Amino acid sequence: MDHFPTNWGRPRNELYDQYNTFPLHHRPANAQNAFADGVQRTQQPIVTGTSVLAIQYQDGIMMAADNLASYGSLARFKDIQRLQPVGTRTIVGASGDMSDFQYIQHILDELTTEEFTYGDGHDLGPAEVHEYLARVMYARRSKINPLWNALLVGGVENGKPFLAYVDLLGTTYSARSLATGYGAHIAIPLLRTAVDNASQLLTEEEARTLLTDCMRVLFYRDARSLDKYQIATVTSAGVSVSDQLKLDTKWDFAEGIRGYGSQTQ
Amino acid sequence: MTSIGTGYDLSASTYSPDGRIFQVEYASKAVENSGTAIGLKVKDGIVLAVEKIIHSKLLVPEANRRIQTIDRHIGLASSGLLADGRQIANRARSEAVSYKESWHEQITLKALADRVGMFAQAYTLYSSVRPFGCSTIIGGVDKSGPALYVVEPSGVAYGHFGAAIGKGRQLAKTELEKLKLAELSAREAVLEAARIIYLVHDDAKEKDFELEVSWVCDETNGMHVPVPKDLLEEASRKAKESLENFD
Amino acid sequence: MPDGSYAHPQQRQFNPYTENGGTILAIAGADFTVIAGDTRQSEGYSIQTRYAPKVFRLTDRAVLAVNGFAADGNMFVKTVKQRLEWYRHAHAKDMPLRAIARLIQTMLYARRFFPYYVYNILGGIEEDGSGAVYSFDPVGSYEREACRAAGAAQSLVQPFLDNQIYFRNQTPAPGTSHPTHLPLPDVLAIVIDSFTSATERHIEVGDGLEMYVVLAKGRSTQELASIRGAQELTPKEGGDRIFVIRRELKKD
Repeated sequence: MDHFPTNWGRPRNELYDQYNTFPLHHRPANAQNAFADGVQRTQQPIVTGTSVLAIQYQDGIMMAADNLASYGSLARFKDIQRLQPVGTRTIVGASGDMSDFQYIQHILDELTTEEFTYGDGHDLGPAEVHEYLARVMYARRSKINPLWNALLVGGVENGKPFLAYVDLLGTTYSARSLATGYGAHIAIPLLRTAVDNASQLLTEEEARTLLTDCMRVLFYRDARSLDKYQIATVTSAGVSVSDQLKLDTKWDFAEGIRGYGSQTQ
Repeated sequence: MTSIGTGYDLSASTYSPDGRIFQVEYASKAVENSGTAIGLKVKDGIVLAVEKIIHSKLLVPEANRRIQTIDRHIGLASSGLLADGRQIANRARSEAVSYKESWHEQITLKALADRVGMFAQAYTLYSSVRPFGCSTIIGGVDKSGPALYVVEPSGVAYGHFGAAIGKGRQLAKTELEKLKLAELSAREAVLEAARIIYLVHDDAKEKDFELEVSWVCDETNGMHVPVPKDLLEEASRKAKESLENFD
Repeated sequence: MPDGSYAHPQQRQFNPYTENGGTILAIAGADFTVIAGDTRQSEGYSIQTRYAPKVFRLTDRAVLAVNGFAADGNMFVKTVKQRLEWYRHAHAKDMPLRAIARLIQTMLYARRFFPYYVYNILGGIEEDGSGAVYSFDPVGSYEREACRAAGAAQSLVQPFLDNQIYFRNQTPAPGTSHPTHLPLPDVLAIVIDSFTSATERHIEVGDGLEMYVVLAKGRSTQELASIRGAQELTPKEGGDRIFVIRRELKKD
């Protein structure tokens, strides 16, 4: 306990201790951080997750991400969940630096717990979670100390689907189909053809097939991907994340390929 | 009171010659005059119940709650000065958050009660502050199961099977002792808690009261939430019935 | 080096900026202003979304178009709106257009050494009832103009506006002179043509077009009646009025 009122900070006006009778040199200086000059900031991602895909469908939002966390080109952790439910009707999918994502999971948990302790019957929906993340990501980039992620936030609020993106720069946008990383180049054309250009919304089965197909294409083409993945859905019934799924892949075409690599005959 | 006029009761930083701190004892008086709060530790969880005296008909129902949530798995019922109870709850929340920041694991009830106890105790040391005029029952379910603690103005924090603070604590404790707490389910305990609150409420002397009940158990998925409306109504109804039979 | 190593130590720095494409433009008439922008948001060769608004209504007589780095743009608009709300609470009225213009300059210059990487165009009606356009650079230099284009296709659109609005390189017929202000339908036609043309020639422009029309108090809305899908945003008559008109642009 500090019993000296002058140390508690000064009132706004000068009415209190108007003539500075309390000796100034007795006021404690603000603490100096000994490490202030030597702080390391994230300059590049280290352990990374690759693409996240998400689409809007009949019942809400469906999101997919594989279970790999890479260390450069090394497939370092093959059992990592990159889809995180937040509250009762939101899912957050993360690509990019996994330690930054763990930090984000932590602050989201703190945020939703605080909201829960108020006990006022209000909790956070997908739009609020996205806005919060956008503020955090933008604030960190503005300190030149970014959280190195591209995140997708999906959910259902009052029966309306919500799907939006936010990344390490604080850039945000929303669309019926979204993807991060390689997915933005490889999966988006497939997703837009099936989702944005379709006359009606996809059924759950169609959506699942579409995302699985895209995950397979990504696994064939993205060297930092894995054939183990999960699919999450958010509907008006709530959030659910699937068990780990395995992609069906075919490699037998490679048998007939001749003429490059070490195999010349 | 023997303390009055002696000069030893003016500050929490002064002992009386026989080793008492009167300011702390006065703080306990604030609790003794307040509506009863009880806590039950049962087989699969804990139940908190409070007799909230309605001082005015102009108050909005369910306003000024005396049961608060500390963390997802922890509830806190206070008796005494309501504003002091809120202060304690806020501190408990920060302790829960800081524990989680350090250990990435939810705080145990024991650790929380310890820390809240230390916080209350610090207010018994200085002449510049007054001790908290409230006792709190902290209950929840952690990794080692259900747990229930009481933190008093002096800073002591003891674990309990059943706890009662406030005006009707004596009678409530007697009633709690009659129960086989370890065999009760949380749902059954809600009925018992409501019965005890109705029993200890003194119709003749006191104004109206509102029954507040919350629980943490398997049914709530380990979360601290108010009991559902229908259960609360059922508990109130049965409590009133049992009182009529009793009379 | 041949072995894949570097001859000099490499320094990599996080770049807090990016460009999100798109184009905005505004034209002032005698008693109206048109502020428009496309709705595509892109990064590099990727279209991020086909609908991300760049034009925002600030008050009943002021509209702000923002172009450049989208995250900065959104944050900037958010803070401008907050400052305008504070002004409303303090003075019980909307901030006048020229005051908003100065506010924007102050806010931009406050970040002189870590700028908002955005080009702003503010359009609306002044207190004297005239249409006005203010254009800004990222650090707050600004001026009032009759028309301005900014963003990815500025270099395509601005010369066209110079020719069509300021009548540069046009000689009036003998005995006549160029009008100082064009009528609203002509302005809308020029805006639509500007964006369809920019969409043809610039990969970062397209998808959708949003045109905000601010009309001075008491001005006839007659000319808007014939415009397909003009939708009023202001709730009350008897003041300045804002309409929005949306059009599709090519999505390729």
